Amino acid sequence: MRLVLVCISILVMVGLGFLFKRLLRPDSFGVYGSYRADAINEALEVPIRHGTNGSCFKCHPFEAKIHKAGLHKTISCEFCHGTYADHVEGDKKTGTLPVKTGDQITTLCLRCHNTEIKARSEEVIKTVAMPDHLRDQQVKLTHTCNQCHHVHAPLKYINRAKQITGLMEKG
Amino acid sequence: MKINDPSPDMKKRSFLKNVLNGTIAGSLYLVYPMGAGSLETLEQIPGIGDGAYDIHAQEFTFIVDITRCIGCGSCCVADKREYNVPDGNYRTWVERYVKGFSDQIYVDCPNGGLDGYQTPRSDIKEEIRDTFFVPKLCNMCKEAPCVQVCPVGATFITPDGFVLVDEKRCVGCAYCIQACPYSVRFINPVTRVVEKCTWCYHRVRKGLLPACVEVCPTGARKFGSLKDETSEVYKILKGPGVLTVLRKEMGTWPALYYKGARREVV
Amino acid sequence: MNTLLASTGMVSDSMGPANMLLSNFVFPNDLHVHWSMMIVLYPYITGLVDGAFIIAALYYLFDVKSLRPVARFSLLFALAFLAIATLPLLLHLGRPERNLNMLLTPSPSSAMAGFGYIYAVSMGVLVFIILFIYRPVLVELRSTSKGWLQLLYRAITFDSIDLSDDALKLDAKIIRFLVAIGIPIAAVLHGYVGFIFGGVKANPTWSTPLMPVIFLFSACVSGISAIILAYIIIRKFKARPIDNGCIITMIKTLTGFFILAFSFEMLEVFSHSYLKSGYHHMVEGLLNGVLANSFWFWQVKIGSVLPLLVLGLMGIVKMRSYVYNFLAAGVSAILLIQVLIMRWNVVIGGQLMSKSARGYTEFHPLWFDKEGIIAVIIVMAIPFAILFVLGKIFPFWAEDKEG
Repeated sequence: MRLVLVCISILVMVGLGFLFKRLLRPDSFGVYGSYRADAINEALEVPIRHGTNGSCFKCHPFEAKIHKAGLHKTISCEFCHGTYADHVEGDKKTGTLPVKTGDQITTLCLRCHNTEIKARSEEVIKTVAMPDHLRDQQVKLTHTCNQCHHVHAPLKYINRAKQITGLMEKG
Repeated sequence: MKINDPSPDMKKRSFLKNVLNGTIAGSLYLVYPMGAGSLETLEQIPGIGDGAYDIHAQEFTFIVDITRCIGCGSCCVADKREYNVPDGNYRTWVERYVKGFSDQIYVDCPNGGLDGYQTPRSDIKEEIRDTFFVPKLCNMCKEAPCVQVCPVGATFITPDGFVLVDEKRCVGCAYCIQACPYSVRFINPVTRVVEKCTWCYHRVRKGLLPACVEVCPTGARKFGSLKDETSEVYKILKGPGVLTVLRKEMGTWPALYYKGARREVV
Repeated sequence: MNTLLASTGMVSDSMGPANMLLSNFVFPNDLHVHWSMMIVLYPYITGLVDGAFIIAALYYLFDVKSLRPVARFSLLFALAFLAIATLPLLLHLGRPERNLNMLLTPSPSSAMAGFGYIYAVSMGVLVFIILFIYRPVLVELRSTSKGWLQLLYRAITFDSIDLSDDALKLDAKIIRFLVAIGIPIAAVLHGYVGFIFGGVKANPTWSTPLMPVIFLFSACVSGISAIILAYIIIRKFKARPIDNGCIITMIKTLTGFFILAFSFEMLEVFSHSYLKSGYHHMVEGLLNGVLANSFWFWQVKIGSVLPLLVLGLMGIVKMRSYVYNFLAAGVSAILLIQVLIMRWNVVIGGQLMSKSARGYTEFHPLWFDKEGIIAVIIVMAIPFAILFVLGKIFPFWAEDKEG
């Protein structure tokens, strides 16, 4: 008699366990594999914070024209200025993105263009050493990069200056 | 010398902003439709934005070109901004390898490369023979050990080949972190569940490039679909040349390939 | 670092083992040690359960009569520790409120997923074994109690007051059967933990097929040591005599298991260091560097070689029983600590190696963390409290019943 009771109690516990499991198991489990297929849809709902340069150019055609014609055309606007999502939502502007000034610009430029970091191949990017570059160009050592270089198109004014002084052919 | 010569449009806007500064009317003027449209129209991966996406018929790959990485850290910054990654944890990072003339290798990764590499290493006493940068991110292994060991099915491989984390299911046991040979996973201290690079699944599904690929100025990070024969990754992968993967002996079969990686890279 | 450089003689090769550790580079996500002291405790606790169960199994299934005095106690000891085995895991999880996920959607490829079911089954088997063994005691208690307590006793004796010879013989058969199935279940209970580590190919210390074996044998060592030490201490505390034959049998079993455990541990280390495959320099750099004190001095010299010598002495030299018992208690205490240190070296030591194969991170235990030192002390104290309560219901020692 005892044994029967023992066996029944075990079976009841196991049965309850399976029922519990069946009830609480998420619905989309097992659709694609041993995971919740709804999780894929949830992964799609992560908010997109970066746009593309094209999304910036749609409202900033003036900067777009300059940027696309210069050597910095491969740089993302959002790296220097901040993400699209901090600026626009839907069709409305929701915030102002910062513009860097003065020494901030020099620091940012040197992040890529510093020749001291010898890992930058000249085929990929031109690098300079500061303050040697300023001495070579014979300008004041307090100059920031943007005083000679247009930040969106770095050689824009350099080339123009060279054309004016006859160091470079026009056109 | 005035660098930025503002267009008439800009002048009008800034005038309006200055005059109506702070008033509700003024802010309304700034809220007029910018004609931006939605991001969906800016498709960068062909064939995804329009219509049906067959989750079973995709083959994406990611190629990192070591010869073109300049260590600017734009990718790390973009990734941190895209996902609000907490400090001290990294979904992607860039390492610097320095090789001395005595063939010693020095590797470092200050703050995951978030500040870029602004100064050379000051603690190396010998002359430097070579330096290069190695970006790291999730390898999206085809036989992912993290998926194998997750006890609750919270990390999984989607039919389109992405290894993702189900944040609602994860219990935070950190077994997958132990199992990943590439250390790309971490426990998010805020949500207390596991997080990792997802190759920007939410962006890719809308036809956009992953954030890190988007911002890379030199094309060191390349992403694309191998179903698209015009894509750069297709040409590199199917063409001649050497591509390597990390930790091949682990047998994880990554979908992330390195071009120009040196034997010192682990 | 200098010894490594000198020993390899491969200074000029950029991929040589010496050069790999030069910059001590740790991957950014590797700085934090994720499996902390609670994960050191969990294998330790299930190990104690296993070892205690072995003693009981030796008596109830293999009829080693000299272990009669401790057989019941070891089962209660096992139950006390098994009862809190989930606690360290819950304290470790980032989302403990989701712990049922392991039962609801266990992934078939994950060793850890087996936890819920294995734990439930082993708890069930252990509880049933104890209920059957103590049935006569409980039936007696049922007849002398009233109200809801009587109801409780009725429930756990399956509403039976049959204490006839036939019934008791049937009980003995059932107990044998349950213990017989309990042995493989107990082996899986701790073996799967070893496999959790053994199945991680990304970690050079952990990924070895020997890991479940090492864990199992050292678990038995810890459990048997715990029973020996607890028996001696409790009997001394209660001023009761100690059964020397029992101690001798337990020491002999302990010696056997310990020789196996130590051999496998050392085989593991030496074969890796001989084969020199993969990034073996990481393991050597770990064991000879950061873990040198913890591994070679505390785990091997003090924790293994010394007890081996003492056990050898106890096996060969004839000595008076109180000396023997004293040495038995001492050896057991050392081995209990050795197994804990071994778990520490494997779990935490293994995570100190970065997957960059170029550096080591650090681990600093906190005092007041949920996985901190205070928490560890509390978690280890709770089973003793449970044991105390259990001792009030189920008498520890068989002969108490008679006298």
